[in-house]
Amino acid sequence: MKKLPTPTALATSMLLALFATTPVAADETCNSPYLSTLIKGQEDFVHVWTLGVKGMGDESDKLVTVDVNPKSKDYGKVVHTLSVGGRGEAHHGGFTDDRRYLWAGRLDDNKIFVFDIGSNPGKPRLVRTIVDFADRTGFVGPHTFYALPGRMLVQGLSNTQDHGGRTGMAVYNNKGEFVAKYDMPTGAHNGVAADGYGYDIGINPQKNALLTSSFTGWNNYMMDFGKLVQDAEAMKRFGNTMVMWNLKAMKPEKVMSVPGSPLEIRWSLKAGDNWAITATALTSKLVLVKQDAAGEWQARAVADVGDPSTIPLPVDISITADAKGLWVNTFMDGKARYFDLTNPEAPVQTYEKVIGRQVNMVSQSWDGKRVYFTSSLLGNWDKRGADDEQFLKLYHWDGKALTEQFAIDFYKLNLGRAHHMKFSARTDTRASVEDAPRVASMRQ
Amino acid sequence: MAPKAPVQDFVAPPPGSYGLPPIQRVPEGLVLDIDGRRQAFSRFTTGRVTLLCFMYTYCVDPIGCPLAFETMTTLRRRLLENPERARQVRLVSLSFDPTNDDPAAMKRYAGALADPASPLRWHFLTTRSVTELKPLLDDLGQDVAVELDEHGRPTRVLNHTLKLFLIDARGRVREIYTSAFLLPEVMLNDIETLLLETADR
Repeated sequence: MKKLPTPTALATSMLLALFATTPVAADETCNSPYLSTLIKGQEDFVHVWTLGVKGMGDESDKLVTVDVNPKSKDYGKVVHTLSVGGRGEAHHGGFTDDRRYLWAGRLDDNKIFVFDIGSNPGKPRLVRTIVDFADRTGFVGPHTFYALPGRMLVQGLSNTQDHGGRTGMAVYNNKGEFVAKYDMPTGAHNGVAADGYGYDIGINPQKNALLTSSFTGWNNYMMDFGKLVQDAEAMKRFGNTMVMWNLKAMKPEKVMSVPGSPLEIRWSLKAGDNWAITATALTSKLVLVKQDAAGEWQARAVADVGDPSTIPLPVDISITADAKGLWVNTFMDGKARYFDLTNPEAPVQTYEKVIGRQVNMVSQSWDGKRVYFTSSLLGNWDKRGADDEQFLKLYHWDGKALTEQFAIDFYKLNLGRAHHMKFSARTDTRASVEDAPRVASMRQ
Repeated sequence: MAPKAPVQDFVAPPPGSYGLPPIQRVPEGLVLDIDGRRQAFSRFTTGRVTLLCFMYTYCVDPIGCPLAFETMTTLRRRLLENPERARQVRLVSLSFDPTNDDPAAMKRYAGALADPASPLRWHFLTTRSVTELKPLLDDLGQDVAVELDEHGRPTRVLNHTLKLFLIDARGRVREIYTSAFLLPEVMLNDIETLLLETADR
């Protein structure tokens, strides 16, 4: 590497770079707080982890990359697809701590795919497939991928023994090598029956707090939805707890009763705040998890989502960076609902809009001005016939209303069912240290 | 700009009350010490509990190398309160930039901190070239890239995720600390936890 000069004129760019790369807690409001590079400005690409559909296109699960930079000639277009082979219930994904690699899982065959996004975000590459999740852990359904420094924390949904809801978390290092596993707690914990179920992970490093939620096992999430809701016994097998863990020790500290399957977890990103929020799928509640005056974690329902008696089925949620607002999608009526979270003890819905005949995931830009939606919940739970719309849609949010910018019909393009979204940004403001001598010579 | 340390709003679990599963082995390689001697990297990553940090001497990012440096000096001070314990631990700073940070530059940067008579050794290392450095970075998953200006020219900023690696005496990474995890009380307890393992064997 050529020695670089030290002109004071470089100070400005150094400071700019410094602030441009400052890590803070969260996605684009829902990423792990350990992610090193959050996109505070315009995202360039949205990567959609997409379920293949029999008889459609190549029928394979795939990572679909969409150009979302309005200055690009390809704005609003699919610019890359990467099929991984087969259909295994593609579901969620998460970046490694350095945001170079996206891990994405399949809930049926337990495969975990590692994509290199950092090298060329417009053309992701599959660099590794992890196939030992079930064998190593006894867990099934790698769901949430949550970056820890140098490793990935993976939340399972089920187990190999009975395919029910008991499960646990696994840790892999960033090379894809298994490190450790942790069972979700079971049995009585201070009067609360721990069900051993799992779903999402949320960490507050300042509190050494790892919060988990609970969904259901393979037997249910792979069952036809219409059949499931008619099966009274199966409907009893949903999670009813959240667990607060000691993150450093990876030991459960408190099991909290949260009926109705609490799903996505979002911590307030405001410094000093001590609360997280979730939505329950079956009971349609927003639940606040907060420390009481004695410092003990408590879970409490603080608002209804729609009319719980109609089971609107709250699914994904997305918190604003200032923790003053929350998007909540309800799958059955296809609505996005905005809640004023200024007082997290009493959220108030202030806006709603029908996004499609079904809607599942929501992801917002850091400034909250761009809100993306996708449609698929699970392969066997999505609606049928004309109601089975599959899309990625971008809306602009001005604080009062959502305005559609583009919609991509994933069926029309023979892609499949659009599920989890992750953002990326071009990396052409950086050069590798190996290229530095060549790059440095450009200065002369 | 002063380094901005993360806030610890909890009581750290006591040493030995928890485990630190091995994350990976530290790779083999060759490094240069401050006297320019070429040595096996393993000489600095085995035999003692080691805290390793990649850095470069002219980094000014307050949540980058200066924060790591401040954390390591805090730990050094705390560990030196018990010289017997300090002898079982070492600190290692390894440069991202072997061209600028040659052994002489590292020696100047280290000053008295590299005192070989100290019970707690702090080694300031570099490599002969990027070619020799890169495999170490890649294996440990330590990213680094040169920041370019608006004309595509390199600045003096090396973008990297701040990571400190806690390594046991057998050369295995047992914990990795990024900015949100740089909590000296917790790190001290992690070091003690590994020392307790060594004492148990």
